[in-house]
Amino acid sequence: MKNLLLIKIILILSLGITLPLSVSLLLTGSPLLARNLVITALVGGVAVVICSVSSFIFLKPLRDLINSAKRFGEGNFNERVDIRSDDEFEEVGNYFNQMADKLSQTFQKLEKDTQTAIAEKNKLSEVLSSIVDGIIAVDFNKNIILINRAAEQITGYTEGELQGQKVDQLIHLFVDTEEILPKTYCQVNFTKAAKLIGKEGKQTRVNLTTAKVGETQQTTLSCILILHDLSKEEELERMKLDFVSMVSHELKTPLTSIIGYLSVFTNENKGKLPKEELDLIDRSFIAARELLILIQNILNVNKIEREEMSVSAEPMDYLPILSKTIEDLKNQANQKNIVLNLNIPEGSLPKVLADPVRMGEVLTNLLANAITYTNPGGKVEVITQLSPNEVTTVISDNGVGIPKEAIPHLFNKFFRVSNQTQRASKGTGLGLYIAKSIVEKLGGKIWVESEFGKGTRFSFTLPVATISSGVVDSSRFVGQEIQAGGLNY
Amino acid sequence: MDPKSKKILLVEDEDFIRDLYVRQLTKAGFLVKSAVDGQSGLTMLKAEPFDLLLLDIMLPGMNGLQLLREFKTQNPNSPMITILLTNLGQEAVIKEGFELGAQAYLIKASYTPDQVVNEVKNALFGSQSPTPPQPAPTQ
Repeated sequence: MKNLLLIKIILILSLGITLPLSVSLLLTGSPLLARNLVITALVGGVAVVICSVSSFIFLKPLRDLINSAKRFGEGNFNERVDIRSDDEFEEVGNYFNQMADKLSQTFQKLEKDTQTAIAEKNKLSEVLSSIVDGIIAVDFNKNIILINRAAEQITGYTEGELQGQKVDQLIHLFVDTEEILPKTYCQVNFTKAAKLIGKEGKQTRVNLTTAKVGETQQTTLSCILILHDLSKEEELERMKLDFVSMVSHELKTPLTSIIGYLSVFTNENKGKLPKEELDLIDRSFIAARELLILIQNILNVNKIEREEMSVSAEPMDYLPILSKTIEDLKNQANQKNIVLNLNIPEGSLPKVLADPVRMGEVLTNLLANAITYTNPGGKVEVITQLSPNEVTTVISDNGVGIPKEAIPHLFNKFFRVSNQTQRASKGTGLGLYIAKSIVEKLGGKIWVESEFGKGTRFSFTLPVATISSGVVDSSRFVGQEIQAGGLNY
Repeated sequence: MDPKSKKILLVEDEDFIRDLYVRQLTKAGFLVKSAVDGQSGLTMLKAEPFDLLLLDIMLPGMNGLQLLREFKTQNPNSPMITILLTNLGQEAVIKEGFELGAQAYLIKASYTPDQVVNEVKNALFGSQSPTPPQPAPTQ
């Protein structure tokens, strides 16, 4: 600790006082009093000047310090002092500089951190807004604390309308017809397809996935909802179809026209054209229908192979399906003079738990086979038998029959009976394989009885629909596909 | 049972099929209008009421389900019957159709136009005579 400043002050003061005093003492010996006064005054004046100049010089560092501190305080963080007075001022100056350095550093760091935080926030915003799925973050009180652009689009609300609001007041989620609430879905791992109702009743089908978030120090985040818009998937369904599915759909389109126009032409000209000419159209129609069966079979086999064959089992009226199938194949039967009959028990048939489209395919395959393998003039009959829990359908013909060694392989894919008649080459061998898959998926059984040269009986069972089984089973068959959000072609 | 009083809207993008259905439905005595895509179908639905909608699912631009969703959102209490037409067999799509309020669906290729006309008659007037057996609307 330097004491020089103090010494300097004392020196100055002393000098200022003693100098005039000494000089006047030296001069008091002289009787010239007036001259003494003048000289004393002069000397005093000189002393004052010396004191002032010296103070001025000594106090300059203080002034520098004041100015620098002022400028630093105004925000000029590069301001430093340069005091080399070799005394306490220099010390203050050095400490001032140190403080200025530290402050400057701190400010710089703060600014850098702020920039980083802003950049991170922007990055996060950009990422969130580019995510296709809607994201909603919710705190412990179920208030919405974050939302991205996709969520705005799905719900129909703007961020302003959602921020801070309770999520279950503005956004309603329904699974089937029941609303699910945050306490249900804000769990560790929740995924369900649901219907989201947002602003003014805007409905969107979404796949809701939620994640419960643990409490952290800096946030009040509790739960994150991810909304995957399923309606877009339906728009893109064309692109998601695999090749076979797409091809078979495309093939069915012109075929629908062919079948349609031929059928209408035949119906309108039955009385007007000779039978021989009508026959030309009739056969075209039959061939088109066979083509349709082929396409359906290819599609179904593809589905079975990919394990995507699903059936929607619902209680359905069986008789209409039976009648329609028979009606559809009447032309084919008539062409060969085969009698085609439906034989049902008295009274009405109970509802069965089945899928109308698939049942149509099974019956069509079996009936078409029966007609194909029955000689002209023969008879094909569809018989239904009732038992308490199931309805048995028998397709019986008096056709060429099936050799005993072929029977165990009959339902295998691509299996065709090889025998001496030329009919053996017909067909792809898929019909029975598909029929078996469908019947078994519906909970039924399928089997065959045949005697070579005499005829064949194909039989399958379907469960009778009771009220409870209808509800339980149809959700079993359909629910998972829907819940997984996966579409099934 | 008077077909003449019933108005039907057919939304189908395939020209041949659309023309054929319109022809057969008109012959059966119905008042038929048609649209070639979802957007114009929706416009027509908004312009006047229809008794029955025959709706193809695979349409260019707005597909059949989107049309149905739009329509039902704005007209939740409409008594109009909807029958979906499709050559697809996608269960999920069909189920959604029912959830959106469709009453039935038909696989186009499996139904001749006259059978489709019968389905329309069934839907509007209830089941016809028991013989010849009519295919009831599949649910």
